[in-house]
Amino acid sequence: MATYNVDSRGTACPGPITDLIRAYRKAQNGDEIVLVANDPGAVPDSKAWCERTRNQFMGSKEADRIFEITIKVTGKKA
Amino acid sequence: MKKIAIIGSGAGGLITSSKLAKDLSKQIRNEEVSITIFDRNLEQEFQPGYLEVAFRGTDPAKIIRRVEGLVSPGVKLVYENVEKVDLADRYLQTEGSKEKYGFDYLIISTGSSPDYKQISGLREDNMDFHTDAYNSNLIYQRISKIKSGRIVVGIAGLPYKCPPSPNESAFMLDEYFRKQGLRDNVEITYITPFTRIYSAESINEVIEPIYEKRSIGSVTAFNTDYVDTDRKEINSMEGETLKYDYLFLTPPHKTASFLKGTEFSDEDGWVKVDRRDLHITSYGDSFAIGDTTNLPISKAGVEAHLEGIVVANNIAAEINGMERKYRFTGRTQCSMETGFHKATFVVGTYDKPVEKIEPSTMNYMEKKVMEKIYWGSLHGHYEWLFKYHFKEDYFQD
Repeated sequence: MATYNVDSRGTACPGPITDLIRAYRKAQNGDEIVLVANDPGAVPDSKAWCERTRNQFMGSKEADRIFEITIKVTGKKA
Repeated sequence: MKKIAIIGSGAGGLITSSKLAKDLSKQIRNEEVSITIFDRNLEQEFQPGYLEVAFRGTDPAKIIRRVEGLVSPGVKLVYENVEKVDLADRYLQTEGSKEKYGFDYLIISTGSSPDYKQISGLREDNMDFHTDAYNSNLIYQRISKIKSGRIVVGIAGLPYKCPPSPNESAFMLDEYFRKQGLRDNVEITYITPFTRIYSAESINEVIEPIYEKRSIGSVTAFNTDYVDTDRKEINSMEGETLKYDYLFLTPPHKTASFLKGTEFSDEDGWVKVDRRDLHITSYGDSFAIGDTTNLPISKAGVEAHLEGIVVANNIAAEINGMERKYRFTGRTQCSMETGFHKATFVVGTYDKPVEKIEPSTMNYMEKKVMEKIYWGSLHGHYEWLFKYHFKEDYFQD
């Protein structure tokens, strides 16, 4: 299982979600995507995207206005 | 002699060269500075005009010009593509040549192009209105034969250039079939990998009601995996399937092939630059502008234009013994036609989120003015107008 680290700091909507979708295209079920962003909108946007695509929003952490969002890829058709 | 090399004769490369040629005209005359553009393309196309050609039947010749007529005096053109750049030793090589062309300053402005390899089956059935004038013209001829059926438009993959264009294609197809009296026979569905019809919420709030009013369907969070041309189906990575009779998808885009695998680009080949002065992050005298960069902003002509002005100002300032003080603001200004002679604009900067702008005829007229002044703008004729229009977003100094 691979981890895709995506650094979207310094970008605002739709930057983080664009980076997330680009990483998702390369990932397989079971992989994790760790998205780092300073746009607070990245958290609800990622959560909504996970719900719609049946991927798993594992959670988000905030430190010094930087958000680290972890997503487990589960939505891809086997 | 200071040698300035520019790779790419698109909007970014031409505007940058024009500004440099103007600001350094004395040094060029005295043979203290040379400016050379490398690109094998003989013609340039006004890319926002593809929509008009594909969906309104505009003559494609109206959006094509010979590159030689777009280059400002003092700028040399080499009709060859670059296949290698060595930033550490400051030289480039063109395709098939062993000759090393040295430079003091380099600007990479090679744009982006469709990457059909990412999505199997897409190229075969797609009516790509998004890539060149010739194919856009063929598409208009094909649309003229459509009397009924399921049309799917939208975004097939990321990144892509001209963010509003997939939405514009939906609106313009709707307009076309309404004018033909065939709209009730045609189903139009917009697909996007984003969770909104337009990725930025403020613009989504503007266009979502128009989709409803015009009965244009939408499927969001749809990650196109492949197109089954036998079954006429688009399949998502999550296993959803959409039937189509006619496909108008905007493909994902790729960078120029010589940039992939270089130490100054990211894993997909987009060049890593400083978001304010556009220098390539590990090399102070080399720059990238426009679609070529990995900046998280629109891949659109306005970015290439404003970034090119910043880079040209800084290079000219340095050659003239002054400080490099110009900074790019991240300003975007992409028009989005909503059909029936109305348009909105996607406007924002690094520091200001995208504004909510309602569609209007005035916005549409502003878009039309840009079409009229585009060719002259490549020569730098209208910088006074752009400076007035963009105000503090034109650049920071």
